[in-house]
Amino acid sequence: MKQIRVLIAKPGLDGHDRGALIIAQALRDHGMEVIYTGLRQTPEQIAQAAVQEDVDVVGLSSLSGAHRSLFPKVIEALKSKNAEDIPVIGGGVIPSEDIAFLEEKGVKKIFTSGASTDLLAHYIKGLVHSEKVLESPKKISHIGIAVESIDQSLPFYEHMLGLALDMVEEVDTEKVKVAFLSIGESRIELLEPLSEESAIRKFLNKKGEGIHHIALEVDSLEERLLQLKNEGVPLLNEEPKQGANNSQIAFIHPKGANGVLFELTKHVKGSEE
Amino acid sequence: MKQESQFSHVKQEWEKETEKTTERFPERKKDFKTSSDIPIDRLYTPEQESDSYIDKLGFPGQFPYTRGIQPTMYRSKYWTMRQYAGFGSAKETNKRFRYLLEQGQTGLSVAFDLPTQIGYDSDDPMAEGEVGKVGVAIDSLADMEQLFESIPLEKVSTSMTINAPASVLLCMYIAVGEKQGVPSEKLTGTIQNDILKEYIARGTYIYPPKPSMRLITNIFRYCQENAPKFNTISISGYHIREAGSTAVQEVAFTIANGIAYVDAALQSGMDIDQFAPRLAFFFNAHNQFFEETAKFRAARRIWAKIMKERYHAKNPKSWKLRFHTQTGGSTLTAQQPDNNIVRVTLQALAAVLGGTQSLHTNSRDEALSLPTEESARIALRTQQILANESGIADTVDPLGGSYYVEHLTNEIERKAMEYIEKIDTFGGAVQAVEDGYMQREIHQTAYDTQKRIEKKEEIIVGLNQFELEEEVNPDLLKVDETLEANQKERLTQIKASRDLDKVQDCLDRLGKAARNDSENLLPYILESVKAYATVGEICNVLREEFGEYTGI
Repeated sequence: MKQIRVLIAKPGLDGHDRGALIIAQALRDHGMEVIYTGLRQTPEQIAQAAVQEDVDVVGLSSLSGAHRSLFPKVIEALKSKNAEDIPVIGGGVIPSEDIAFLEEKGVKKIFTSGASTDLLAHYIKGLVHSEKVLESPKKISHIGIAVESIDQSLPFYEHMLGLALDMVEEVDTEKVKVAFLSIGESRIELLEPLSEESAIRKFLNKKGEGIHHIALEVDSLEERLLQLKNEGVPLLNEEPKQGANNSQIAFIHPKGANGVLFELTKHVKGSEE
Repeated sequence: MKQESQFSHVKQEWEKETEKTTERFPERKKDFKTSSDIPIDRLYTPEQESDSYIDKLGFPGQFPYTRGIQPTMYRSKYWTMRQYAGFGSAKETNKRFRYLLEQGQTGLSVAFDLPTQIGYDSDDPMAEGEVGKVGVAIDSLADMEQLFESIPLEKVSTSMTINAPASVLLCMYIAVGEKQGVPSEKLTGTIQNDILKEYIARGTYIYPPKPSMRLITNIFRYCQENAPKFNTISISGYHIREAGSTAVQEVAFTIANGIAYVDAALQSGMDIDQFAPRLAFFFNAHNQFFEETAKFRAARRIWAKIMKERYHAKNPKSWKLRFHTQTGGSTLTAQQPDNNIVRVTLQALAAVLGGTQSLHTNSRDEALSLPTEESARIALRTQQILANESGIADTVDPLGGSYYVEHLTNEIERKAMEYIEKIDTFGGAVQAVEDGYMQREIHQTAYDTQKRIEKKEEIIVGLNQFELEEEVNPDLLKVDETLEANQKERLTQIKASRDLDKVQDCLDRLGKAARNDSENLLPYILESVKAYATVGEICNVLREEFGEYTGI
């Protein structure tokens, strides 16, 4: 992947650059190339530098209260150089009521005091990579159905519906036993809890047996998670975790998906399909 | 026995000084006692009299001043409660000043906006968006007159946070005094005037180091002759700490800068005891309570030794490190801002136990914006509660003799001296600043601190532990958005109403004087401000002559 290039800039006359310098170093530690403008840059100079340095993102820092007038001016200056595709983010001493104003003026996101540098780095990675349109999910990988007992449920699927049993497996990390049955290019996954702490047990207690989740197969799971996170979609897993059958998986929170629990799954090489 | 005689000799000196002091400044009460009627002595000393006590701690008001610079400290007079304030227009700030004075504040401290601090008029394109934001906008003497309207300058002492254009604002203050009928000899106050820490940490520099140092020594000399009660510099560790340094780095770099100013003044031909008594310091009060108290005590001892032993100053006033303290702005959190009141209280306590001469307590909402009037009042009340209710001011240096505090004091002195010696080998602070040495050291500490906080190795309540899911948004101060336009309008009117030939003549003469290294620029600047030349016009003349510093 190409190295991300970031311009960190101090618009206006503010001399507080502790935050800007820390962020510059933290982003470098995350493998990005960072250009720091130094103090006292006009919006015009910042836009000029962003274009000349061909950066992927511009980060503005102001602690003097001038953000309301200067941040939007940087966006205008980028526009006038036909560089409005370079996203601008900002930080500093910025009251929460100004955040909506700045976002309306085109600032992508404001990070205020207390935000972690890791969060910022992930955000930037997501922002830059989301410019690439990710491929649509390829298929429904499987539909998960919560059951009290696989042994008792299996005869219905095998003999009444006539589906072929692929495999039965215990997933220790999730404290579940799963059975996969093939149906065309997809599968049905029966999930039986193995302990009281299992999420499936809780689901059964609350709702009884039934459809638990729908799993979509995707490429580039990490990038997709970053993109979803940056779009504000609530995630149950921000990082991929190990799923059944040597896959990488992550769940989207049902409150962001009309009450449906979606699993994103990526089959890694060597895993059985 | 020799040991006892040295101890009792110094003790007698202290008692004599105490008598003299209490005649001029009687103690606040005849008898101090605790709630249980236990009498409180002025000072407590070790049971065993020893030379090492005299060497390291001594008596308050006596070399090396570890225990304080006055013999009775706060038994006579509390520290000066001096809240830094200023925003928007001179008229608005004047209103806040008068409010603070009515509320029992005992000194003024002016915050200027960034254009003023960097020598730009409000109508300069560089000033856009910054006018009146972090302080008051001052363009010409007319603004300064309005700023101090109905505030008698012979009665208040005024601290001004102004560095690169310190000479201009000082001259404006002198001119306002003249108009009020107060001669410059009677003015009291402080200008920050500490350019080295601007290059290191704060960023409001204009000119390169060499001409900047000239302006500073010009001020030293001018004030010695014309405003002898004015503190000509406030050598500041505050911003070094805010930029992320440790306590040791704060003391070390500040004192290294102090040494550079002393060297510059000596080089300009002044005698050490002519200017050293008017040097003042400004430190941060951070979170680690005992280390902070120890820091102030160590700083006094280091400076006293340097002035006496390295520079052979004779006047004891030259040995005394007098300092202002502000609680640590960067320790405040935007999350759960009311928690900041507690942080500020602890920091203020450390400053008082460290023997500060004056104190600014930050307001709870400063991680979000400039303080509201209510927040500023709570901050002032915090000091008033410490002074009037806690009893901490009833005996001198109450932590003196604590094994722990004395150990920390010794260690801070030792580690700071290592830095100071290292900076000496570079050729002094000016050289170290130009090489970026101090900047790099501070940045490394700041980065390490950030990483520790993110890994939760350092806990900040409300930020990385004990968080609230929903933060409540407090009411914040809003600086009037029409202010910039109004200030520009006002400036246009003033520019139109002056005698333009006279302004031009003054500025020409200033430029000519700037080209001659042996001229003191202050009289020329004073003449210019009286002709209503603006801060920007004066600074631009000097920009033309001196060039601009562009960072490293």
